[in-house]
Amino acid sequence: MTVDPNAATRGFPSPPPAHGGPNPARYLVPALVAAAVAVGLGVYGKVHDPAGTAFNLAGFSSTGAVKSWLATTAFFFALVQLVSALMMYGKLPGPGWASALHRWSGRIAFLVAVPVAVHCLYALGYQTYSTRVLWHSLLGCFFFGAFSAKMLLLRWERLPGWLLPIIGGLVFAVLTAIWLTSAFWFFRTFGVTT
Amino acid sequence: MKRPGPLLTLLAGLVFAVFMLSLNAMTGTKNASNPYRQASPGVSVSASAPSASSSPSPSTSPSPSPSRRALPNADYAGRTDDNSSAVAVSLRGGKAIAYFCDGHDKESWLKGDVKDDGTMKLTGGNGDELNGTLQDGKRIRGTASVGGQRYGFTADRAIKPSGLYRATATVRGAKVDGGWIVLPGGKQVGVVERDGTPSAAPVIDPETGAVTIDGQKIIARPVTP
Repeated sequence: MTVDPNAATRGFPSPPPAHGGPNPARYLVPALVAAAVAVGLGVYGKVHDPAGTAFNLAGFSSTGAVKSWLATTAFFFALVQLVSALMMYGKLPGPGWASALHRWSGRIAFLVAVPVAVHCLYALGYQTYSTRVLWHSLLGCFFFGAFSAKMLLLRWERLPGWLLPIIGGLVFAVLTAIWLTSAFWFFRTFGVTT
Repeated sequence: MKRPGPLLTLLAGLVFAVFMLSLNAMTGTKNASNPYRQASPGVSVSASAPSASSSPSPSTSPSPSPSRRALPNADYAGRTDDNSSAVAVSLRGGKAIAYFCDGHDKESWLKGDVKDDGTMKLTGGNGDELNGTLQDGKRIRGTASVGGQRYGFTADRAIKPSGLYRATATVRGAKVDGGWIVLPGGKQVGVVERDGTPSAAPVIDPETGAVTIDGQKIIARPVTP
Protein backbone atom coordinates (compact mmCIF):
# COMPACT_ATOMS: atom_id res chain seq x y z
CA MET A 1 0.00 0.00 0.00
CA THR A 2 1.41 3.38 -0.94
CA VAL A 3 0.63 6.42 1.00
CA ASP A 4 0.52 9.85 -0.45
CA PRO A 5 1.06 12.17 2.45
CA ASN A 6 -0.73 14.95 0.63
CA ALA A 7 -3.81 12.94 -0.20
CA ALA A 8 -7.10 14.08 1.25
CA THR A 9 -7.97 12.08 4.32
CA ARG A 10 -11.31 10.38 4.59
CA GLY A 11 -11.80 9.13 8.11
CA PHE A 12 -11.73 12.03 10.45
CA PRO A 13 -9.82 11.04 13.58
CA SER A 14 -7.47 8.44 12.14
CA PRO A 15 -6.07 9.78 8.91
CA PRO A 16 -2.52 8.58 8.36
CA PRO A 17 -1.96 5.41 10.38
CA ALA A 18 -2.74 3.17 7.42
CA HIS A 19 0.94 2.48 6.87
CA GLY A 20 1.05 -0.06 9.66
CA GLY A 21 2.93 1.75 12.37
CA PRO A 22 0.32 2.13 15.08
CA ASN A 23 -0.49 5.67 15.87
CA PRO A 24 -0.19 6.08 19.64
CA ALA A 25 -3.11 8.51 19.61
CA ARG A 26 -5.45 5.69 18.82
CA TYR A 27 -4.60 4.12 22.19
CA LEU A 28 -4.41 7.40 23.98
CA VAL A 29 -8.06 8.28 23.44
CA PRO A 30 -9.49 5.01 24.83
CA ALA A 31 -7.05 5.12 27.72
CA LEU A 32 -7.99 8.68 28.60
CA VAL A 33 -11.70 7.95 28.27
CA ALA A 34 -11.29 4.87 30.46
CA ALA A 35 -9.48 6.86 33.12
CA ALA A 36 -12.06 9.64 32.96
CA VAL A 37 -14.96 7.18 33.29
CA ALA A 38 -13.41 5.30 36.21
CA VAL A 39 -12.33 8.39 38.10
CA GLY A 40 -15.57 10.18 37.29
CA LEU A 41 -17.69 7.37 38.69
CA GLY A 42 -15.53 7.15 41.80
CA VAL A 43 -15.68 10.88 42.42
CA TYR A 44 -19.44 10.95 41.91
CA GLY A 45 -19.83 8.03 44.32
CA LYS A 46 -17.69 9.80 46.89
CA VAL A 47 -19.11 13.29 46.55
CA HIS A 48 -22.78 12.51 46.01
CA ASP A 49 -24.69 12.10 49.25
CA PRO A 50 -25.81 8.48 49.29
CA ALA A 51 -29.58 8.51 49.16
CA GLY A 52 -29.82 5.21 50.99
CA THR A 53 -32.75 4.14 48.86
CA ALA A 54 -33.80 4.06 45.27
CA PHE A 55 -36.78 2.56 43.56
CA ASN A 56 -37.20 -1.17 43.58
CA LEU A 57 -38.65 -3.70 41.20
CA ALA A 58 -41.91 -5.36 42.10
CA GLY A 59 -41.64 -8.93 43.30
CA PHE A 60 -38.33 -8.63 45.06
CA SER A 61 -37.85 -8.35 48.79
CA SER A 62 -35.11 -5.76 48.62
CA THR A 63 -33.00 -3.75 46.24
CA GLY A 64 -30.13 -5.95 47.34
CA ALA A 65 -31.93 -8.97 45.93
CA VAL A 66 -32.80 -7.17 42.69
CA LYS A 67 -29.22 -6.07 42.20
CA SER A 68 -27.85 -9.48 43.04
CA TRP A 69 -30.01 -11.14 40.42
CA LEU A 70 -29.25 -8.49 37.81
CA ALA A 71 -25.56 -8.83 38.58
CA THR A 72 -25.81 -12.59 38.35
CA THR A 73 -27.51 -12.21 34.96
CA ALA A 74 -24.68 -9.97 33.83
CA PHE A 75 -22.15 -12.48 35.12
CA PHE A 76 -23.91 -15.29 33.24
CA PHE A 77 -23.69 -13.34 29.99
CA ALA A 78 -20.06 -12.61 30.82
CA LEU A 79 -19.46 -16.35 30.88
CA VAL A 80 -21.14 -16.53 27.48
CA GLN A 81 -18.72 -13.79 26.46
CA LEU A 82 -15.74 -15.86 27.52
CA VAL A 83 -16.91 -18.97 25.67
CA SER A 84 -17.92 -17.12 22.51
CA ALA A 85 -14.61 -15.24 22.50
CA LEU A 86 -12.73 -18.54 22.68
CA MET A 87 -14.81 -19.71 19.73
CA MET A 88 -14.03 -16.58 17.72
CA TYR A 89 -10.32 -17.09 18.29
CA GLY A 90 -10.60 -20.74 17.33
CA LYS A 91 -9.69 -22.07 20.76
CA LEU A 92 -13.01 -23.84 20.96
CA PRO A 93 -15.09 -25.33 18.16
CA GLY A 94 -18.01 -23.01 17.57
CA PRO A 95 -20.67 -22.03 15.09
CA GLY A 96 -20.37 -19.22 12.58
CA TRP A 97 -22.59 -17.01 14.64
CA ALA A 98 -20.17 -17.03 17.58
CA SER A 99 -19.20 -13.41 16.90
CA ALA A 100 -22.84 -12.32 16.80
CA LEU A 101 -23.36 -14.20 20.05
CA HIS A 102 -20.35 -12.40 21.49
CA ARG A 103 -21.62 -8.99 20.46
CA TRP A 104 -25.14 -9.46 21.74
CA SER A 105 -24.31 -11.25 24.98
CA GLY A 106 -21.90 -8.42 25.70
CA ARG A 107 -24.50 -5.79 25.03
CA ILE A 108 -27.02 -7.54 27.27
CA ALA A 109 -24.47 -8.00 30.05
CA PHE A 110 -23.52 -4.33 29.89
CA LEU A 111 -27.08 -3.04 29.81
CA VAL A 112 -28.06 -5.31 32.70
CA ALA A 113 -25.10 -4.08 34.73
CA VAL A 114 -25.93 -0.40 34.19
CA PRO A 115 -28.95 -0.17 36.54
CA VAL A 116 -26.99 -2.05 39.21
CA ALA A 117 -24.17 0.45 38.96
CA VAL A 118 -26.58 3.38 38.97
CA HIS A 119 -28.16 2.10 42.16
CA CYS A 120 -24.76 1.50 43.74
CA LEU A 121 -23.57 4.99 42.95
CA TYR A 122 -26.82 6.77 43.69
CA ALA A 123 -27.92 4.98 46.84
CA LEU A 124 -24.70 3.68 48.37
CA GLY A 125 -21.78 5.64 46.98
CA TYR A 126 -18.08 4.90 47.03
CA GLN A 127 -17.43 3.28 50.41
CA THR A 128 -14.34 1.94 52.13
CA TYR A 129 -15.60 0.63 55.46
CA SER A 130 -14.55 -2.97 54.85
CA THR A 131 -12.18 -4.81 52.56
CA ARG A 132 -15.01 -6.28 50.52
CA VAL A 133 -16.70 -2.92 50.09
CA LEU A 134 -13.44 -1.16 49.26
CA TRP A 135 -12.56 -3.63 46.52
CA HIS A 136 -16.09 -3.60 45.19
CA SER A 137 -16.12 0.20 44.97
CA LEU A 138 -12.71 0.34 43.38
CA LEU A 139 -13.28 -2.42 40.83
CA GLY A 140 -16.82 -1.25 40.06
CA CYS A 141 -15.46 2.10 38.89
CA PHE A 142 -12.55 0.43 37.12
CA PHE A 143 -14.86 -1.96 35.27
CA PHE A 144 -16.81 0.72 33.44
CA GLY A 145 -13.59 2.47 32.53
CA ALA A 146 -12.07 -0.71 31.14
CA PHE A 147 -15.29 -1.55 29.33
CA SER A 148 -15.37 1.91 27.71
CA ALA A 149 -11.78 1.42 26.60
CA LYS A 150 -12.61 -1.91 25.01
CA MET A 151 -15.62 -0.51 23.18
CA LEU A 152 -13.52 2.34 21.81
CA LEU A 153 -10.68 0.02 20.79
CA LEU A 154 -13.13 -2.24 18.96
CA ARG A 155 -13.89 0.58 16.59
CA TRP A 156 -10.54 0.12 14.90
CA GLU A 157 -9.95 -2.94 12.82
CA ARG A 158 -6.15 -3.07 12.82
CA LEU A 159 -5.02 -3.73 16.33
CA PRO A 160 -2.25 -5.91 17.70
CA GLY A 161 -3.70 -9.40 18.01
CA TRP A 162 -3.02 -9.69 21.72
CA LEU A 163 -4.72 -6.44 22.72
CA LEU A 164 -8.39 -7.36 22.64
CA PRO A 165 -7.97 -10.71 24.42
CA ILE A 166 -6.00 -8.97 27.16
CA ILE A 167 -8.56 -6.20 27.63
CA GLY A 168 -11.49 -8.57 27.27
CA GLY A 169 -9.96 -10.93 29.81
CA LEU A 170 -9.35 -8.01 32.15
CA VAL A 171 -12.94 -6.84 31.86
CA PHE A 172 -14.16 -10.38 32.52
CA ALA A 173 -11.88 -10.86 35.52
CA VAL A 174 -12.90 -7.55 37.05
CA LEU A 175 -16.59 -8.30 36.55
CA THR A 176 -16.06 -11.64 38.26
CA ALA A 177 -14.43 -9.93 41.23
CA ILE A 178 -17.26 -7.41 41.39
CA TRP A 179 -19.82 -10.20 41.34
CA LEU A 180 -17.97 -12.14 44.05
CA THR A 181 -17.84 -9.10 46.34
CA SER A 182 -21.52 -8.27 45.88
CA ALA A 183 -24.05 -10.79 44.62
CA PHE A 184 -22.13 -13.86 45.76
CA TRP A 185 -21.63 -12.25 49.15
CA PHE A 186 -25.32 -11.29 49.28
CA PHE A 187 -26.49 -14.81 48.49
CA ARG A 188 -24.15 -16.28 51.06
CA THR A 189 -25.22 -13.80 53.73
CA PHE A 190 -28.95 -13.70 53.14
CA GLY A 191 -29.54 -16.93 51.25
CA VAL A 192 -30.47 -17.32 47.62
CA THR A 193 -33.61 -15.27 47.72
CA THR A 194 -35.71 -13.05 45.55
CA MET B 1 -12.83 1.89 8.61
CA LYS B 2 -14.75 2.22 11.81
CA ARG B 3 -17.42 0.13 13.33
CA PRO B 4 -20.26 2.11 14.87
CA GLY B 5 -21.59 -0.81 16.97
CA PRO B 6 -19.40 -0.53 20.08
CA LEU B 7 -19.94 3.20 20.26
CA LEU B 8 -23.70 2.71 20.01
CA THR B 9 -23.49 0.16 22.82
CA LEU B 10 -21.68 2.64 25.01
CA LEU B 11 -24.13 5.42 24.19
CA ALA B 12 -27.10 3.15 24.88
CA GLY B 13 -25.64 2.33 28.29
CA LEU B 14 -25.03 5.99 28.99
CA VAL B 15 -28.57 6.99 28.01
CA PHE B 16 -29.95 4.14 30.09
CA ALA B 17 -27.86 5.20 33.09
CA VAL B 18 -28.98 8.82 32.83
CA PHE B 19 -32.58 7.66 32.52
CA MET B 20 -32.30 5.49 35.64
CA LEU B 21 -30.58 8.29 37.52
CA SER B 22 -33.29 10.81 36.71
CA LEU B 23 -35.92 8.26 37.67
CA ASN B 24 -34.13 7.83 40.99
CA ALA B 25 -33.77 11.54 41.51
CA MET B 26 -37.50 11.98 40.97
CA THR B 27 -38.70 9.11 43.11
CA GLY B 28 -35.87 8.86 45.56
CA THR B 29 -37.24 11.37 48.02
CA LYS B 30 -40.84 10.29 47.73
CA ASN B 31 -42.15 7.96 50.34
CA ALA B 32 -45.62 7.04 49.18
CA SER B 33 -44.49 5.82 45.82
CA ASN B 34 -41.25 4.32 47.01
CA PRO B 35 -41.59 0.55 46.82
CA TYR B 36 -38.29 0.14 48.64
CA ARG B 37 -40.09 0.77 51.88
CA GLN B 38 -43.13 -1.25 50.98
CA ALA B 39 -40.83 -4.13 50.31
CA SER B 40 -39.04 -3.62 53.58
CA PRO B 41 -39.91 -6.83 55.40
CA GLY B 42 -36.62 -8.60 55.62
CA VAL B 43 -35.49 -11.47 53.53
CA SER B 44 -36.46 -14.20 55.93
CA VAL B 45 -39.62 -12.52 57.17
CA SER B 46 -43.01 -13.77 56.13
CA ALA B 47 -44.58 -11.78 53.37
CA SER B 48 -47.45 -10.86 55.66
CA ALA B 49 -45.24 -8.88 57.99
CA PRO B 50 -47.10 -5.61 58.34
CA SER B 51 -44.07 -3.46 57.98
CA ALA B 52 -45.30 -0.71 55.76
CA SER B 53 -48.60 -0.37 57.56
CA SER B 54 -47.03 -0.27 61.00
CA SER B 55 -44.64 2.42 59.94
CA PRO B 56 -45.00 5.63 61.94
CA SER B 57 -44.85 7.64 58.76
CA PRO B 58 -48.02 6.91 56.87
CA SER B 59 -47.67 7.89 53.28
CA THR B 60 -47.98 11.61 53.24
CA SER B 61 -48.15 12.79 49.70
CA PRO B 62 -44.87 14.48 48.93
CA SER B 63 -45.19 18.03 47.82
CA PRO B 64 -42.16 19.19 45.92
CA SER B 65 -40.92 21.80 48.29
CA PRO B 66 -38.65 24.59 47.16
CA SER B 67 -36.52 23.99 50.23
CA ARG B 68 -35.37 20.64 48.98
CA ARG B 69 -32.17 22.09 47.70
CA ALA B 70 -31.36 24.14 50.73
CA LEU B 71 -31.92 21.28 53.18
CA PRO B 72 -29.58 18.34 52.96
CA ASN B 73 -30.77 14.78 52.64
CA ALA B 74 -28.80 13.40 55.52
CA ASP B 75 -28.87 11.46 58.75
CA TYR B 76 -27.94 12.73 62.18
CA ALA B 77 -27.24 10.73 65.31
CA GLY B 78 -26.14 11.63 68.79
CA ARG B 79 -26.88 11.50 72.50
CA THR B 80 -28.97 13.45 74.93
CA ASP B 81 -27.15 15.93 77.15
CA ASP B 82 -27.55 13.66 80.19
CA ASN B 83 -26.05 10.81 78.16
CA SER B 84 -29.01 8.57 78.99
CA SER B 85 -30.46 8.17 75.53
CA ALA B 86 -29.72 8.43 71.86
CA VAL B 87 -31.46 10.51 69.21
CA ALA B 88 -31.32 10.05 65.46
CA VAL B 89 -32.94 12.20 62.79
CA SER B 90 -33.22 11.36 59.12
CA LEU B 91 -33.91 14.19 56.67
CA ARG B 92 -35.17 13.70 53.13
CA GLY B 93 -36.64 16.38 50.92
CA GLY B 94 -37.72 18.69 53.73
CA LYS B 95 -39.26 15.92 55.81
CA ALA B 96 -37.84 14.39 58.92
CA ILE B 97 -38.25 11.24 60.94
CA ALA B 98 -36.63 10.93 64.33
CA TYR B 99 -36.10 8.17 66.83
CA PHE B 100 -35.49 8.62 70.52
CA CYS B 101 -34.30 5.57 72.42
CA ASP B 102 -32.67 4.83 75.77
CA GLY B 103 -31.62 1.28 74.91
CA HIS B 104 -33.79 -0.25 77.63
CA ASP B 105 -37.49 0.46 77.59
CA LYS B 106 -38.06 4.00 76.43
CA GLU B 107 -38.43 4.87 72.77
CA SER B 108 -40.37 7.15 70.50
CA TRP B 109 -40.74 7.66 66.77
CA LEU B 110 -41.41 11.23 65.71
CA LYS B 111 -41.99 12.87 62.38
CA GLY B 112 -42.71 16.18 60.76
CA ASP B 113 -41.51 18.80 58.34
CA VAL B 114 -38.30 20.80 58.31
CA LYS B 115 -38.68 24.51 57.64
CA ASP B 116 -36.46 26.39 55.24
CA ASP B 117 -34.52 27.93 58.11
CA GLY B 118 -33.60 24.45 59.35
CA THR B 119 -35.95 24.32 62.33
CA MET B 120 -38.19 21.34 62.85
CA LYS B 121 -41.00 20.38 65.16
CA LEU B 122 -41.57 16.66 65.08
CA THR B 123 -44.39 14.88 66.84
CA GLY B 124 -44.85 11.30 67.97
CA GLY B 125 -47.27 9.19 69.96
CA ASN B 126 -48.38 10.05 73.52
CA GLY B 127 -47.69 13.74 73.00
CA ASP B 128 -43.98 13.20 72.44
CA GLU B 129 -42.32 16.13 70.72
CA LEU B 130 -38.93 17.01 69.32
CA ASN B 131 -37.80 20.54 68.53
CA GLY B 132 -34.54 20.86 66.68
CA THR B 133 -32.48 23.22 64.60
CA LEU B 134 -30.20 22.17 61.81
CA GLN B 135 -26.87 23.96 62.21
CA ASP B 136 -24.90 24.37 58.97
CA GLY B 137 -26.08 20.91 57.93
CA LYS B 138 -23.50 19.52 60.36
CA ARG B 139 -25.60 18.79 63.42
CA ILE B 140 -29.05 19.10 64.89
CA ARG B 141 -29.37 20.68 68.29
CA GLY B 142 -32.62 20.71 70.20
CA THR B 143 -34.86 19.23 72.85
CA ALA B 144 -36.95 16.09 72.94
CA SER B 145 -39.92 15.58 75.22
CA VAL B 146 -40.52 11.88 75.56
CA GLY B 147 -42.67 10.20 78.19
CA GLY B 148 -43.18 13.49 79.97
CA GLN B 149 -39.45 14.16 80.37
CA ARG B 150 -37.42 16.76 78.57
CA TYR B 151 -33.97 16.08 77.13
CA GLY B 152 -31.55 18.37 75.39
CA PHE B 153 -29.64 16.64 72.61
CA THR B 154 -27.03 17.13 69.92
CA ALA B 155 -27.02 14.86 66.88
CA ASP B 156 -24.03 15.06 64.55
CA ARG B 157 -24.04 14.24 60.88
CA ALA B 158 -23.96 10.44 60.58
CA ILE B 159 -22.27 8.76 57.67
CA LYS B 160 -23.15 5.19 56.84
CA PRO B 161 -23.11 2.76 58.47
CA SER B 162 -24.00 5.17 61.28
CA GLY B 163 -27.61 6.21 61.24
CA LEU B 164 -31.13 5.10 61.97
CA TYR B 165 -32.43 1.57 61.32
CA ARG B 166 -35.75 -0.14 61.79
CA ALA B 167 -37.02 -3.68 61.44
CA THR B 168 -40.59 -4.85 61.67
CA ALA B 169 -41.61 -8.46 61.40
CA THR B 170 -43.71 -11.18 62.90
CA VAL B 171 -41.57 -13.61 64.87
CA ARG B 172 -43.29 -16.63 66.40
CA GLY B 173 -46.64 -14.89 66.30
CA ALA B 174 -45.42 -11.78 68.08
CA LYS B 175 -45.31 -8.45 66.32
CA VAL B 176 -41.73 -7.28 66.56
CA ASP B 177 -40.76 -3.67 65.97
CA GLY B 178 -37.14 -2.75 66.52
CA GLY B 179 -35.35 0.56 66.21
CA TRP B 180 -31.61 1.10 66.26
CA ILE B 181 -29.41 4.17 66.35
CA VAL B 182 -25.88 3.46 65.22
CA LEU B 183 -23.83 6.34 66.58
CA PRO B 184 -20.78 7.79 64.87
CA GLY B 185 -18.05 5.56 66.23
CA GLY B 186 -20.15 2.43 65.90
CA LYS B 187 -21.90 2.19 69.28
CA GLN B 188 -25.51 1.09 69.02
CA VAL B 189 -28.59 1.98 71.02
CA GLY B 190 -31.72 0.04 70.26
CA VAL B 191 -35.06 -1.10 71.60
CA VAL B 192 -37.23 -3.95 70.38
CA GLU B 193 -40.94 -4.03 71.07
CA ARG B 194 -42.59 -7.42 71.17
CA ASP B 195 -46.34 -6.93 70.93
CA GLY B 196 -45.86 -3.47 72.39
CA THR B 197 -43.53 -4.46 75.24
CA PRO B 198 -40.14 -2.76 74.88
CA SER B 199 -36.80 -4.24 75.85
CA ALA B 200 -33.14 -3.84 74.96
CA ALA B 201 -32.42 -4.81 71.37
CA PRO B 202 -29.77 -7.26 70.20
CA VAL B 203 -26.94 -5.80 68.15
CA ILE B 204 -27.41 -5.40 64.41
CA ASP B 205 -24.73 -5.78 61.81
CA PRO B 206 -24.67 -2.16 60.63
CA GLU B 207 -23.28 -3.16 57.28
CA THR B 208 -26.15 -5.46 56.36
CA GLY B 209 -28.79 -4.63 58.95
CA ALA B 210 -28.98 -8.31 59.85
CA VAL B 211 -30.13 -9.03 63.39
CA THR B 212 -31.31 -12.17 65.13
CA ILE B 213 -34.42 -11.71 67.25
CA ASP B 214 -35.75 -14.68 69.21
CA GLY B 215 -33.80 -17.03 67.00
CA GLN B 216 -34.99 -15.56 63.71
CA LYS B 217 -32.83 -13.48 61.45
CA ILE B 218 -34.48 -10.32 60.19
CA ILE B 219 -33.12 -7.31 58.39
CA ALA B 220 -33.16 -3.79 59.76
CA ARG B 221 -33.34 -1.12 57.08
CA PRO B 222 -32.17 2.46 57.04
CA VAL B 223 -35.11 4.69 57.92
CA THR B 224 -36.12 7.57 55.68
CA PRO B 225 -39.13 9.83 56.08
